[in-house]
Amino acid sequence: MKTGIKTLESVVFLLEKEFKQFFRDPGLPKMVIMFPVLMMLVFPYAVSMDIKNINLAVVDNCRSTESDELVKNCTSSGYFNLVTICDDPSEAMVMMEKNDVDAILTINPDFSRNLVKEGTMSLGININTVNGTKGNIGAGYLNSCMMKFASSSDSASVEPVSGSIVTSTKYYYNPYMDYKVFMVPALIVIAITMITGFFPALNIVSEKERGTIEQINVTPVKKSAFIICKLIPYWLVAFFILTACLLIAKVVFGYRCAGDLSALYLFTTLHIIVTAGLGPLISNYSENAQQSMFITWFFMMIFMLVSGIFTPISSMPAWARAITYFNPMRYYADAMRSVFLKGSTVIDVWYDAAGLAVIGASMLIAAIRGYRKTT
Amino acid sequence: MTGENGNIIEINGLTKRFGSFTAVDNISFHVRKGEIFGFLGANGAGKTTAMKILCGLSLPTSGEGTVNGFSINGEQEQIKRHIGYMSQKFSLYPDLKVWENIRLFGGIYGLGFKELRKKCVSIPESLGMEDYADKSVSSLPLGWKQKLAFSIAMIHNPEIVFLDEPTGGVDPETRRMFWEMICGAAENGTTVFVTTHYMDEAEYCDRVSIMVDGRIADIGSPEELKGRYGEPDMDSVFRKLATKAKRF
Repeated sequence: MKTGIKTLESVVFLLEKEFKQFFRDPGLPKMVIMFPVLMMLVFPYAVSMDIKNINLAVVDNCRSTESDELVKNCTSSGYFNLVTICDDPSEAMVMMEKNDVDAILTINPDFSRNLVKEGTMSLGININTVNGTKGNIGAGYLNSCMMKFASSSDSASVEPVSGSIVTSTKYYYNPYMDYKVFMVPALIVIAITMITGFFPALNIVSEKERGTIEQINVTPVKKSAFIICKLIPYWLVAFFILTACLLIAKVVFGYRCAGDLSALYLFTTLHIIVTAGLGPLISNYSENAQQSMFITWFFMMIFMLVSGIFTPISSMPAWARAITYFNPMRYYADAMRSVFLKGSTVIDVWYDAAGLAVIGASMLIAAIRGYRKTT
Repeated sequence: MTGENGNIIEINGLTKRFGSFTAVDNISFHVRKGEIFGFLGANGAGKTTAMKILCGLSLPTSGEGTVNGFSINGEQEQIKRHIGYMSQKFSLYPDLKVWENIRLFGGIYGLGFKELRKKCVSIPESLGMEDYADKSVSSLPLGWKQKLAFSIAMIHNPEIVFLDEPTGGVDPETRRMFWEMICGAAENGTTVFVTTHYMDEAEYCDRVSIMVDGRIADIGSPEELKGRYGEPDMDSVFRKLATKAKRF
């Protein structure tokens, strides 16, 4: 009982120390303010996967009213920049080889005759797929332009479409397929993980480098008290970042969380136990700041790449999907997106909460166990 | 807590190896309650390694012993309640103020808020640095830092205080004041275990040991040692023993 009170008291003094040191640090508070602001204001635009400005070359061997109409149809869609209209296919190929052109639309000499007589279009499409995503989407856009043209000119039909099946698509949760709203919760995840992943590790290692940790180790202070006092300030930092990001999303982009805000804070708390537990764990095994930075960076990189933030987990190969189950960011990102975009409740995404809780508890236990006051 | 024979530290066959290197090689000695024990030796003789084991910061490879009645094999956390430690490397928090360091370490040792408030005033006062109590520790000159570090190591009135080269790099006047503080602590019943490279300081000790190559070459009061080797001062005794070193 008496040692219980003593431990609690030492927690008060250690926390006081951590907060004073945090606010006295010349860079840390500024970093914590600047990071979410930059992330939220710059990245939603920069990491946009909307494909625009596809450079198009047209090889028009027909030169008819119909072919003119088709080209106009493509350029008015807003996705294409018409680079050139020429007669020589090899000229267009050279431009594609120089990367000046992403797609070539070849209109055959018999285009207008076939269109009027048989209702078919004789066209060729060449796509530069060095950037596979851009190429695929570009081809899709070009195809849909053709379809639109075909359906607008009475008699024409594009070969593979029989016209008997009509599909209508309705988009849920993000009706305009705005990539930014999809990225906002993910950017919150990245900002919080980066700050709370790197700083606790650096903090503890700097105590090692300065030798102050030895003065702590020679006192009877409990290991768990020391580690937990290192984490609590970063828990509050994470709440600050989350709040700042949500405000920016609301004020600048007009996005609001579809679900309960408290769910976001709950998942952030769970995630902090993971990232902030990782920090002390890494610092246990590194002697200086460089080592700890490198190891943290290594983990962050892997976490981020297989988190489902940039590429869907469902399209990963089985072995990569298996790895994601050990990745705390997978659960956190999924939970944040579900709550923010779909309005899911904690019960809907209980598996994310469970995943984070299990990984967090293991990290924290490993961090406290691995920290040795006597070596 | 001392043994029947009044020894507060009892060490038997203490050895510490790092890989194939034996830093401390089978040393045995004891320290009596209330004395100033000088732990001498050249750089690399193994003093700091041995001291860290006594403080519970490091585990021995083999050998046993007790510090204030607690075993150095497994009762480190109990030992830590009863000792003060001042490292070779200055290790108060440089970005905290003088009074904040006092409050932190006093708080960790369980002094209580009332007592702490008193200490935050009385310690800077006794060191003559009232005007600096609200300054960050990094702004203090080295000698003042060392005096502060000593006062903080003594904040919980420990039974034993371990001082690892407390006066390294300190000017002669501050060195003298520092030893007044050490003698004062010993008069109040605290056992002082101190390492130093200044042989004039060794003369102030009740007993000294001289470590050479991880072993204790000799142990006794300064008078005994001077008599044994027929030398006029500790400096000559030290040179005579330390030049036998083969390790470095």
